[in-house]
Amino acid sequence: MAAQLPEADAQVPSLALAPAGAELERPRGGWLRQLDVLVPGTILVFLLFLFFVWPVIGPVGKPTGGNILNANIEPWSAGHIFGTDPVGNDIWSRILYGGRNSIEIAFSVQFVGLVLGGAVGAIAAYWGGAVDMVLMRVLDVLIAFPALVLALAIAESLGPSKSHTILALCFFSVPAFARVSRAATLRLRERPFMLAARLSGTGTGRILLRHITPNVLPQLVTFALLGMGIIIILEGALSFFGLGVPPPNPSWGNMIFEGQGILSAEPRLVLVPSAFLFITVLTFNLLGDALRSRWSSV
Amino acid sequence: MELGVTDHTASVETEPQAGDRAPGAPLLELRDVRVAFRHGGRRLVAVDGLSYTVAPGRTLALIGESGSGKTVSSRAVLGLLPPTATVSGSIRFEGEELVGLSERQMRRHRGASIAMVFQDPTRSLNPTMRIGAQITEAIRVHQKLDGKAAKARAIELLKLVRLPAAEQRFVEYPHQLSGGMRQRVVIAIALAASPKLLIADEATTALDVTTQAQIMELLRDLQRKLGMAMVMISHDLGLAASFADEVVVMYAGRAVEQAPTRTLFANVRMPYTKALLEAIPRIERPPHQPLPVVPGRPPDLAALPAGCPFAPRCPSARDLCRESAPPFGEGEPGHRWACWYPCGSDGAAPA
Amino acid sequence: MSSNGSQPLLEARNVVQEFVVRGRGGVKGGVVQAVSDVSLKVMPGETLGIVGETGSGKSTLARSLLQAPKPKSGQVLLRGTDLTGLKGRDLLDARRSMQMVFQDPFGSLDPKWRVEDLVEEPLIAYGVGSRTERRRKVREVLDLVGLDPSVYGRRRPRQLSGGQAQRVAIARALALDPALIICDEAVSSLDVLIQAQVLNLFERLRAELGLSYLFIAHDLALVKQVSDRVAVMYLGKLAELGPAEALYREPLHPYTVALLRSVPSPDPEAPKAAAEEAISGDPPSPIDPPSGCRFRTRCPHAQERCAVEVPELRELGTQHAVACHFPVVQRSANGR
Repeated sequence: MAAQLPEADAQVPSLALAPAGAELERPRGGWLRQLDVLVPGTILVFLLFLFFVWPVIGPVGKPTGGNILNANIEPWSAGHIFGTDPVGNDIWSRILYGGRNSIEIAFSVQFVGLVLGGAVGAIAAYWGGAVDMVLMRVLDVLIAFPALVLALAIAESLGPSKSHTILALCFFSVPAFARVSRAATLRLRERPFMLAARLSGTGTGRILLRHITPNVLPQLVTFALLGMGIIIILEGALSFFGLGVPPPNPSWGNMIFEGQGILSAEPRLVLVPSAFLFITVLTFNLLGDALRSRWSSV
Repeated sequence: MELGVTDHTASVETEPQAGDRAPGAPLLELRDVRVAFRHGGRRLVAVDGLSYTVAPGRTLALIGESGSGKTVSSRAVLGLLPPTATVSGSIRFEGEELVGLSERQMRRHRGASIAMVFQDPTRSLNPTMRIGAQITEAIRVHQKLDGKAAKARAIELLKLVRLPAAEQRFVEYPHQLSGGMRQRVVIAIALAASPKLLIADEATTALDVTTQAQIMELLRDLQRKLGMAMVMISHDLGLAASFADEVVVMYAGRAVEQAPTRTLFANVRMPYTKALLEAIPRIERPPHQPLPVVPGRPPDLAALPAGCPFAPRCPSARDLCRESAPPFGEGEPGHRWACWYPCGSDGAAPA
Repeated sequence: MSSNGSQPLLEARNVVQEFVVRGRGGVKGGVVQAVSDVSLKVMPGETLGIVGETGSGKSTLARSLLQAPKPKSGQVLLRGTDLTGLKGRDLLDARRSMQMVFQDPFGSLDPKWRVEDLVEEPLIAYGVGSRTERRRKVREVLDLVGLDPSVYGRRRPRQLSGGQAQRVAIARALALDPALIICDEAVSSLDVLIQAQVLNLFERLRAELGLSYLFIAHDLALVKQVSDRVAVMYLGKLAELGPAEALYREPLHPYTVALLRSVPSPDPEAPKAAAEEAISGDPPSPIDPPSGCRFRTRCPHAQERCAVEVPELRELGTQHAVACHFPVVQRSANGR
């Protein structure tokens, strides 16, 4: 009968210089240490609330169909905290609805990129050989194009609309995720537990799903978060060129595009959406960075 | 009769007289050294009151398993700990206090009078720099030599560590050398400024057995030639038995037994040391004999139990052991241990 | 299946394993024969130890036996069935009785999985029983290795110590009721006391379950502790093979002699053998091994014949074979 070993609870590794191996579970000690995640996380939650929930429940006007008689109202006026644009639309509500559009687009693009790009990269890395080569060369072609040029070309040929914008930007995100996923899977493939899984008899599909995916996913998620900012800006750039979200629907990009014509007269038309763009991108970046440093040790 | 140990070429095999001290100050002296880390909001004591001395030209083996504090205590000597560490106590080298020195002051010692060799030679060497460049860099940090003189000295060092084809190796990269050769290069770099003390932290653990034997013999030979003292850190009692003059056994950050090598092995006192000795497979024994084994695992350093840290696992533990930690005292001349009921005392009441 | 008592459990015949070494720019630079014509047998209930240093090919041999990947040539017979000719499902079925425990306890466990899932994985892959039955088996093997399933079952590898993680790996290897376990440096990264615990566990399993082991390690004393017979490998070839006691007491191959002399003994009174006499220089490159006997460049007794003719493994004592033109026994007989 097995002698029972006296059990201690999970132990703290003795020190930063402990021999490589056990990273035993350690409590991170209080909310103060979690600030790097909590601060951007809270701001993000607040922003999402602002863009998605507040317009539904709160006193937010319509972003389109403004009355030209209301044009160019000053900020801090009653009912129009940021004033109105030259066509009479309330800027505050355009910011909110524009933010919603931007985030929806960015999220969709990153989601498709993660799932599709992640899968392609993992499969290419796991199978190796001809499969890897073919898949990667195809993606290389896409990566070689400057992102903006690629997106512009596709949006131009399809015509401006929200879903076409998403599609165009996916051509940028899928290869990017595939690269990250491929690199991560290549590293993973050499780990002994992969060999152990194969020796246990586990089939390829199950290995990809149950072994590779959980280990690669954290990296892909942080990559997605860090890329949100880029996608939002790209969408902005597309709108700037008249593609992207078609007017009168707001997006931060087309707001900036429309506002840049009268920049000297009414700078707020550009500054306000730019400020929100800046804050949102920064929040995503900070959150992504904090999660990456947290997850990369595991 | 006092056996003076100032002679740098004193043979390593000479049996040290019990309780002898060098007439001059010891080369390295640790007194009640404590090292604590802040780790995720918790305070962790990695070294808890360690004291030992090393006389010039002698070899001290610091033996312990993972978490014993042997590596941390050695890094504390050279100030190589992360900023989250606090060091207290006294570490004196040739009489000069090292604890609390600034980084700049520490650098005067590093490589110059105290050198350190680590476990993995592959990671100690810069893979993008030629061997020669790495050695001359180390030489020129401590000595004002021009390029040619430095190169000559570097080749001299490579020959000193018995690296075959030294001139050719001078221009090669680390990856072109085998593990054993790389470790020789690392030792050559360590010797660049003729240090008086070499700290070898598991220096041969990553090497093959045959290479290990060669490197250990090389180190012993260099010690004799250069009059260099050595602190060798290891988990391998066999190495200590063959190469050390004195052994300090550590457990959970504390020294639990210390004695000249022969005394320790002939007359083990601390049950932990005994457990270590018995758990090692021996070539002389026939196969399939069960190894005497101590249950459990080393304790959590952030939550050490009261009393002796080894008590939860010790076969001779009694109530006193769990209540109060035994002092590290000189039970016999030259032989110190921290145990209330040491081996061979037949359970007599502790002194 | 034949129930012939003297049929070996595992038999390797002339196994060769090669790797292509990529030169600069991905061009084929050369071929390394990591395992070069190795033949050995493991009988039921026996432990065969394999000892060798870096570049000896012992780990590669282990992987070749498991067909991961398949050896370049040679046969591997498990219970009489040649694994080298099988693929896919057939290979899986035939290989079931042979499992492996790796060196790095944490490296061999998926950090995202729980202990009970890790141990259950082979059972799922082989479609053993129902979920309840599998879970019962998982609990059973965890108990067998000394881990309480109710405490450790839901844990993840990072919540385990080195010794515990290795026990999980052993439990996983036991799940399919194997006949042979290949231990590739399975205790080398464990602390001394924990190592002793795990070694005792291996012995207990051997006694309780009648397991055979192929125990690979570079530590000579360790190998002798657990083995009935021992094989010594050098640069891809078998140098010596024989019963543990005999091999250690009277080694025939100069390399074995050198190895034994290099081991530091935990006895300060023991005479310090000069390793310099027994072996010189560093291991040669496996890409371009010496002609004839591969050990000759470091052997203190090498002669002309050693450079010309590859020594074959010849049996000199009872079951004690050596691949050397001038093994130690002969030399003393010739008074050299």
